[in-house]
Order: sequence, then C-alpha cells, then structure tokens
Amino acid sequence: MDYDDSDRRPAAAAPAPAAVKILIAGGFGVGKTTMVGAVSEVAPLRTEEYLTVAGVGVDDVRGVADKATTTVAMDFGRITVSSGLVVYLFGTPGQERFWFMWNDLVHGALGAVVLADTRRLEGSFGSIDFFESRGIPFVVGVNCFDGYQDRTVPEVREALDLDARVPILMGDLRKRSDSRDLLLALVDHLMADQSVAAG
Amino acid sequence: MRVNHWADEFLEEDPDDSFVRPYTITHGRTVSARDDLTLITVISTLTAPDGLVDGRGLEPEHRFILDQCRTPCVLAEVAARLNLPVAVAKILIGDLIDAGRVSARPPLAVAVGQRPDISLLQAVRDGLRRL
Repeated sequence: MDYDDSDRRPAAAAPAPAAVKILIAGGFGVGKTTMVGAVSEVAPLRTEEYLTVAGVGVDDVRGVADKATTTVAMDFGRITVSSGLVVYLFGTPGQERFWFMWNDLVHGALGAVVLADTRRLEGSFGSIDFFESRGIPFVVGVNCFDGYQDRTVPEVREALDLDARVPILMGDLRKRSDSRDLLLALVDHLMADQSVAAG
Repeated sequence: MRVNHWADEFLEEDPDDSFVRPYTITHGRTVSARDDLTLITVISTLTAPDGLVDGRGLEPEHRFILDQCRTPCVLAEVAARLNLPVAVAKILIGDLIDAGRVSARPPLAVAVGQRPDISLLQAVRDGLRRL
C-alpha cells in the first residue's frame, strides 16, 4: 500500500531542531580537532568529500582541462544549546584552496575561530585572508599548551596584521573552558558587530 | 603449516575500495539531483500513518538512514555514521526525500554580509555558557 506524502508523520516526537554552523580553521596540526573534541557532546566525527580539482600541466592546445578528484576530510562535533537549536563545529581542511571549491563548507556559517600557533603563525595567514575576503566574522585563538605563552596578544596582533576589532584569546584548547571561551568571544563579537550596525 | 583456502584471495584484496563502492550504492550517480541539501540540513524520518517506518524497496544504506534519523540528524552526521562521502549521502538522502520517507529542514543560514538574528545569537550564547 502506498501513502500520500501528506499522510506521513515525523518519527520523532519533538520537531527537528534548527542547526547553525561555526568553522574552526587554522594551519595543519594547530589544534582544530582538539578544540572540536573539547566542546563537542559527541566524540569528533569525521566525514569526507570528493572535490574536483583542475590539474596542473593542462594541455592548452587541445583545450581539454585535466581534472583530478581529491578527497578532503574534516572533523566536526556538535553542541545542543537548546531543544530547538544545535550548533555544529566544523574543523576545516588545512589547505584553504579546497574551501573555494567546497562552497557548502563555508556557506551559511555564523562565523569562524582561527587557531594559531605562535611557533608558526604563518600557518594561519591563509585562513585569515579567506575570512577577511569573504566578510565572514572571526576571532583568533592562540593555542598555549599548559599556559605557556611566548608571545603577547599585541605581538600576535601585529604579526598577523589583524584589525583592532578582531578578538584574540590565549588558551589551552584541550580545556573545555578555554575552547568554550573562544566560541563565546565569537558570539560576543557577532553581537557587538550587530549593535554597531544597528546604531 | 598454514593451508591456504581458496577464498583467502578475496579476503586479502585491497580493502581500500572506498572510492568505487560508494557509487555502486548510488547506482553510478555521482552528483545529487538536488542542490538544496547542505552539511547541516536536518533530516527527519517520516512514518506511515500506521506509525511504522517503511523501508521496502530500499537499499540497506537507505534503511540505515531511516533508522538513524528517527532522531533528527544533520546530513554530515549521516554521512559520517555511514562512513560515506558527503556527496554520496546527499544522493541517498535525496532519494528518501523524493520517496517521501524523510523530511529535510534547511539550516538557519546566514548570508554573507548579513548579521544573524540577535535572539539566535543570545540562544547560542546562553547554551555555550552552560558548557
């Protein structure tokens, strides 16, 4: 027996929650998955996508683009903030060039946390450039294991050439409280942005 | 001495067949016909009027999704739990939407250049503070 679609009902008693997304970006090995794991209510999940990349060494004479498929993986987690709202945290793939091809990854994000390691700050340049050029609000988190800080916030700001309004926090991402504070800083930054826009 | 069984050959095949297999599940389709599904589209299983989830005529992966989305779940999580790429999960979920077996709730998308609703931010903030 078949049914009309209108006869079907949700299996779950509660309505489907709304979902929003925050991106966790930064260079390779900077602690993206560590941060996702510190605040997520489930162990970080891994998913992958196939992206078609224009190959190098294209034969221009024939005009046939050489395309290759590459697999890009990312880790993500979730925080249920209320019965009707779930925040998803997506650790972005390390290489920003993939983000341009993976529109779905960055599209519709509330904002981003860019993680930085003071020993290789240049690893975060790509993420910062990307979010600045796309107009996606972000905060910067400097990962300091065991509270070890070899740079001050003003030094990091100068080295990363960051606008004075972009919040920078130091913290140990393995600690839930420090990772949570980064997310709170992002939300506060978004709210401050709004009051400026409204005023 | 170990005696080789004739089937060992199959067991020792390269397990890294993950690139070919997903598109076997989709019957060769590599791109979803739908472009409205995102990583955080919330998928909810629908039941027939008798309260049962109807999995007839579906692939095992489809039935897995129906089972998983009894509790609403986002597309990325469906893909992760199935251990399939996002593109393949989109195709399978698209099948289920077309067949009326699941519903899809689009995310609260935030357009670039637009700021999210202040009450949404407040709700996120309150939830994070409870962590």
